[in-house]
Amino acid sequence: MIVCVAVVGHQSFTEADDALKLHHIVHCSLDVVDERVNNPKKSGPTLNETFLGLLYPTENYKVYGYLTNTKVKFILVTTDLDVRDVDVRNFFRRFHAAYVDAVSNPFHVPGKKITSRTFAERVSNIVKSFGLSST
Amino acid sequence: RKPLPRRREIVNLREMGREVSESCIDSLLTEMVSSYCNHFYANKPELAARRIEAIGYQVGHQLSERYTMERPRFSDHLEAIKFICKDFWSELFKKQIDNLKTNHRGTFVLQDNRFRWLARMSLDPTADDGVPQDPADFAESKAAQAMSMYLYFPCGIIRGALSNLGIPCAVSADISNLPACSFVVRIKA
Repeated sequence: MIVCVAVVGHQSFTEADDALKLHHIVHCSLDVVDERVNNPKKSGPTLNETFLGLLYPTENYKVYGYLTNTKVKFILVTTDLDVRDVDVRNFFRRFHAAYVDAVSNPFHVPGKKITSRTFAERVSNIVKSFGLSST
Repeated sequence: RKPLPRRREIVNLREMGREVSESCIDSLLTEMVSSYCNHFYANKPELAARRIEAIGYQVGHQLSERYTMERPRFSDHLEAIKFICKDFWSELFKKQIDNLKTNHRGTFVLQDNRFRWLARMSLDPTADDGVPQDPADFAESKAAQAMSMYLYFPCGIIRGALSNLGIPCAVSADISNLPACSFVVRIKA
């Protein structure tokens, strides 16, 4: 089950609607993202890919990262134990599309929290269908 | 009696449901420049220019988010500029930049030999007495200044897009070689 999805922009502003612990996990994972991106030797061929993969597993959660060309980070925290790589990639792809539509709103102020209800509904749908497709 | 559209055509119509005709965009741009130059900032062309450029900046910012969606991240400035010249320009204007030059010290010149948003403007390079003007002189003329108002928007778009890709810069337009239009990008250190 996905417990938290965070969008982190340039100013490290987070939009996560969960408890302090999840905030902490997300913040820690940001350090991992930075480390992955800034250490080319460690990352290898996936340096410039958007999908960063599993950032680190904690005892209860798995944290995945995704970094866009515009330096916006998506962090996914899930309690699922057996998560398929392809499902997470699909999730981020759909989430990215929803994010792009949300920031294309002329009334959205870049850097500020996304307040669109449509975005919230779309994310909700994406979260609900996470891992359910069997194709 | 018109035959019913075949299945493939129906699918295309559905995909096209969110498009807008090009003439609408042309009219919108014309009206935007006219509103800011003649109405909101009448007699203050510098303010009108800055406002129009700022609108372009926001548009470029948002478009770069959309058009870099499926792509891996750029490894350096040149990659990002090439993206602007090829994919980004194609999305906006259905063609690529025709010529890219750089001095390898942070300045890039993007030349479009037939810039779409100037294509519908009548540009008469003859002076009032009927004698053809030198294109470089034309660039200084009043007609050119009027035309340049339409270039602040695309300059802003380029600046907004590059800025969102982590490349702060200044962008200006050069119309000394019409009908070609060049966009000069100066990357800030």
